[in-house]
Amino acid sequence: MSRLLVVDDEANIRLLYAEELKDEGYEVVTAGSSAEAAEKLQHGVFDLAVLDIKLKNESGIELLQKLVKERHDMPVILCSAFSCYKDDFSAWLADGYVVKSSDLSELKQEIARVLAKKALKVKAGT
Amino acid sequence: MDRECCWDRDVITLADCPETGEGEEDLLSSKQQRILEKCCECPRFLDELKQLAGAVPPNPLAPVLATILPEFLRQKAQIQSLVSFLDNKTLEIRFLHELGSVLQSSVDLDEVLSVAMTAITAGKGFGMNRAFLLLCDREEGMLNGYLGLGPRNLEEARRVWGEISQNDMDLQTLAQNFRDTKLSSEREKFHDVLELLTIPLSNKDHIVIKALDGRRPIMVQGVFQHPDVPPELARLLGVDDFLLMPLISRNRRVGIILADNCITHRAITEADMHSLETFGFPVAFAIERASLYDKLQVELNRVTEAGKKLKEQQQLIVKMENMALVGRITSSIAHSVRNPLMVIGGFARSILKNSPASDPKRTFIESIVAETRQLEGVLDEVLNYSDSLYPTCDFWDVDQLVEASLRDTADALALLNYATGYSPGLTLPPVYIDFKQLSYCIRTMLLNDIQGIGSDRSIAISSQSVEDGVILRIEDHSRHITQSELDHLLVPFSEPRDLGAGLGLALCKAMLEKQGLLFEARADQQTGIMYTITLPTRKEEQS
Repeated sequence: MSRLLVVDDEANIRLLYAEELKDEGYEVVTAGSSAEAAEKLQHGVFDLAVLDIKLKNESGIELLQKLVKERHDMPVILCSAFSCYKDDFSAWLADGYVVKSSDLSELKQEIARVLAKKALKVKAGT
Repeated sequence: MDRECCWDRDVITLADCPETGEGEEDLLSSKQQRILEKCCECPRFLDELKQLAGAVPPNPLAPVLATILPEFLRQKAQIQSLVSFLDNKTLEIRFLHELGSVLQSSVDLDEVLSVAMTAITAGKGFGMNRAFLLLCDREEGMLNGYLGLGPRNLEEARRVWGEISQNDMDLQTLAQNFRDTKLSSEREKFHDVLELLTIPLSNKDHIVIKALDGRRPIMVQGVFQHPDVPPELARLLGVDDFLLMPLISRNRRVGIILADNCITHRAITEADMHSLETFGFPVAFAIERASLYDKLQVELNRVTEAGKKLKEQQQLIVKMENMALVGRITSSIAHSVRNPLMVIGGFARSILKNSPASDPKRTFIESIVAETRQLEGVLDEVLNYSDSLYPTCDFWDVDQLVEASLRDTADALALLNYATGYSPGLTLPPVYIDFKQLSYCIRTMLLNDIQGIGSDRSIAISSQSVEDGVILRIEDHSRHITQSELDHLLVPFSEPRDLGAGLGLALCKAMLEKQGLLFEARADQQTGIMYTITLPTRKEEQS
């Protein structure tokens, strides 16, 4: 079972993600801030992180940079309220990018795609 | 006394006086004038004067007259010489005045040089056969052969001088004529001499540099034997003597003029040298002023350009401030609206997914899901619209743009069995666009209201290079609507939609217009819809 870390400052969104992704068969751990995410990362190993681009009083991008630097083997999917940044961010450091929507099917597809890609990478490495 | 002379008659005829000829009829009736102008030199009058001295008794005035007469003649000759000298000087002053007026009124280097060179070589001017102008390049430390003027052989001299005397042009017209028709050809004609007259300022042994450093004109005689004249230059000039006149302005070396009489071989005189020396100062001053004006013009252009750039930067700063403001507002709206919508819709979907089909509340939950979906659509379009207000343009590859858009829409199109094809034009230049916005527009045109109806479910994209642009065409063969229906779709919020605010195509139109791109949408009930966008290949193409 893949372990996911969901970082979002909105408690209801964390709850929604957790419920929906658990239904998909993932083990989900949530964090409401960068500091909480860092703490969770220190005590556990995750296969993928789902990260809100805008956290309360802090930037998800900064956390992304930190994750890429320290946990380069863990893919990250960015979530944002802006569809217009898709072209910009998809070419950035993140492995995936989704626009926040009540329909989580795009997020679920993106998680499946990124994890499959990671698995292929690991297989090719061994 | 037998008087042969007519001096004492009031009126005479031409036959009476051997000294008076045709054209001097006015003297025949003016006794006083005739005595002053003619009698004093007339042998008959002088003979009568001798007779007067030898008369008995002698006339006491005779010796007085004999003394006065030669002195009168001497002074008369002197006055005539002075008048002639004065006439020459008047002509010279008139010429210098004309020359000075032209030189002082011009700030165009070519015009100044044309006037100066014409003045040296024109018959009405200093009348030298040929002249070369050499200009100092202080930065490079060189004296450069810049311009030559004059005939190269006798045949050319006859032809050119004949033309000039026939047309009887003044100095300014001659100079203008030279500037308009001969400036570059003369330069080419004397290319070899000018090349040889390009001398490093450090070559202190060269006769030309010596004259320049000495700041005084030099008349070089015995050119072929002269130790300071390179033999090659002497051979090429083909004259025994020439004149070197340095051009000095405010103690600075501007250049030098070399002049000779290569056709007539008239000896150059001290008077020629002094005349040219007087002329040298205004020429040097005019050349330096015109050069400075040229430099000033260059600097002015730079300052103007810098001012223009500064203005653009200021506008950019204002635009960026506006963008930042719009960005902050957009960000705030996005988060305050999208997150609650997501939670409401997300949980509604979750409940719907887990509720049995027989649940009577299922309809209510489905309504929540549908309304949330619509609100999310509206939010997307409003956010896209705010993003479209400030396009960020750069040069992009058209093929990359089309291929990226097709890739992004491939799944949705395939789901409805649509076939897409792209025919790229040959050697397309990069286009100046906002890639993100153009990509959005193409995606919207591809996906706009595709309903999977009609037998021909195909969309063809093609590109074609035209003058200053690339034309991009998107042909949707599946939709068969009228032009007025299509025009309706291009107006924002013109009709309610199940999804979104009905902004799709209208937003595309607004984005393209904002970028100053030409956009055309044509509908044909038989063949379908064709969108045409003209993408500029240059920055200034956009308004």
